[in-house]
Amino acid sequence: MDLDTFLLSFAVIACIYMACNIGANDVANAMGTSVGSKSLTFRQAILIAAVAEFVGAFFVGGEVSDTIRKGMLDPLMFEAVPYHLVYGMISALVAAALWLHIASYLGWPVSTTHSIVGGVVGFGVIAGGMDVINWGKIGMVVLSWVVSPVMGGLFAFLLFKFISKAVFGKRTPLIYAKNLLPYMVFFVFVILTNAMVYKGLKNLHMDLSFTRALVISLMVGALTFIITKYLARKIPYNPSWDLKKQFHETENVFKYLQILTAFYVAFAHGSNDVANAVGPLAAVVAILKDGQVHMNVPMPTWILGLGGGFIVFGLMVWGAKVMATIGEKITELTPSRGFAATFGAATVVLICSKMGLPISTTHTLVGSVIGVGLARGLPTLNLGIIRMIAISWISTIPFTAVISMLCFKIFLVFLP
Amino acid sequence: MRSFLSMFAKSPFKPLKSHMDKVRACVEQVKPLFDALDKKDYDSVQKISELIVKLEHEADIIKDNIRIHMRQSMFLPVDKKDFMRLLSAQDDIADAVEDLAVLLRIKNLDTPDEIRFSLKELVAHIVETAHMGCDLISELEALLEASFGGAEAEKVEKATQELGTAEWEADRKQFALAKKLFSLGDDLAAADLLLWNEVIKKLGAVADKTEQIGKTLRMFLSQ
Repeated sequence: MDLDTFLLSFAVIACIYMACNIGANDVANAMGTSVGSKSLTFRQAILIAAVAEFVGAFFVGGEVSDTIRKGMLDPLMFEAVPYHLVYGMISALVAAALWLHIASYLGWPVSTTHSIVGGVVGFGVIAGGMDVINWGKIGMVVLSWVVSPVMGGLFAFLLFKFISKAVFGKRTPLIYAKNLLPYMVFFVFVILTNAMVYKGLKNLHMDLSFTRALVISLMVGALTFIITKYLARKIPYNPSWDLKKQFHETENVFKYLQILTAFYVAFAHGSNDVANAVGPLAAVVAILKDGQVHMNVPMPTWILGLGGGFIVFGLMVWGAKVMATIGEKITELTPSRGFAATFGAATVVLICSKMGLPISTTHTLVGSVIGVGLARGLPTLNLGIIRMIAISWISTIPFTAVISMLCFKIFLVFLP
Repeated sequence: MRSFLSMFAKSPFKPLKSHMDKVRACVEQVKPLFDALDKKDYDSVQKISELIVKLEHEADIIKDNIRIHMRQSMFLPVDKKDFMRLLSAQDDIADAVEDLAVLLRIKNLDTPDEIRFSLKELVAHIVETAHMGCDLISELEALLEASFGGAEAEKVEKATQELGTAEWEADRKQFALAKKLFSLGDDLAAADLLLWNEVIKKLGAVADKTEQIGKTLRMFLSQ
């Protein structure tokens, strides 16, 4: 086996390892609220997650990948030694995946995104010195880690305030919920479709302008609006039901919305987090092709497919175990609350994906859950988790950076 | 459980409701207790009194559990102090009922004819008031669902006002009964007079403590 084949195989295996870890680590985050509020059984959740993660990764994953590949360090600094970039990217993948594996084992809420950022920075500093790192971009990425939970919290807070005023505050909440349902469905489908078709279909060689993408999304939205309007009429309502009974039935309406949002959040997660696995691989493949460093490389469709595929594999094989216990452990979450939290978080994650910002889905969800809590939507919240997140914020990057440096050094010792 | 899902802690509102269920069970024994006393069925008084003490103890265990699990890092949709105040108010009702049960066991009390009717009336009213308090706690689940606002909040607000009126009415009945009791003068043994006076005061205390529940719930709504 020649060196290139060896390196390519190594990079592919590291990417697969990373993708599996992302799937195993994050699926509970994406689907947890739906399973916790009993809107979905854990089997249904796994199925929806599998489809949505793959679609999100495949269609929208490319943009964040670029940030991972070339946003944080300048690839052109490696023009003289292109293979160092190959070693480095593999090192970053190995370091991030190892860290995720350890953190999963310890039960720490770490971010897959932060892990890979640490890995890239780590080898970058060793290989090219401080100058090779694009500190401005790193600053933006780190800033987005603070901003994204706050934004998720704000979104979820406002959405939940709206729901509690417009539905749960009424004398006939069920009627208001039935009327609101089609609009919510419209909104979700427009955002989802737009995210998918605007720039997303590049992989299928169907690049649409923003206006055309918007028209298509609005059409899809309108269609789902009409269908939902028709279906909503079939939801039974009896004027003699008291408020308690109506609240109960209203929550059942929110179950449908939550299933939709479960798809939405898994989609958003796939779109943002697949980059953490495929970004470095794309860089490696591009260099190995002709031995040169290029600034712009197309993201090969097979790589996105590989990343998406193994995220799904990881979530099915390891993530399922975590999911199975959620339904019993979270008993305090109702579909309306789960909907507000996940919808808020998914929207922020998707916006950030489109902006090419690699953010943490987990931390955004933490923010949005606190947002619902601040809107007096949850009977209780354990804020001890914030301390855990602070720990993971502080520990992730140094750990993956150091491991990535070590791997890189080992490469340099054994390979030219 | 890993990840952000560990944020969803166990709700303290459910044990609060269980605690109130025990308090309600205590309150439900008040009428049988006085009925037995009226019939001079002192064996039954003894038995019911023991049952009340047992129920109060069970309520205490639930209360202690809630207090132990109320951690610093827990975030509630209401002020934590108000929540604890609500728990204390519920607990005070059970305590007052327990005191009543113990008082009636000190000696075999005879019910004077002159106060028989008013006493019956007061007991019935007190029990009704306490039940209103228990019903308010049953609304907590719906109140949470409505985020302490809207139509459900208005409903609870109205119920707390009714509870306030009921407590005022209880005070009036308590005063009338005390007047009747003391008008008996020397016809009643001093020991009996003393004991009856305590009993009437404790009955009033049950209503007072129940009103505290209404007041605290109004604090929940006004946040």
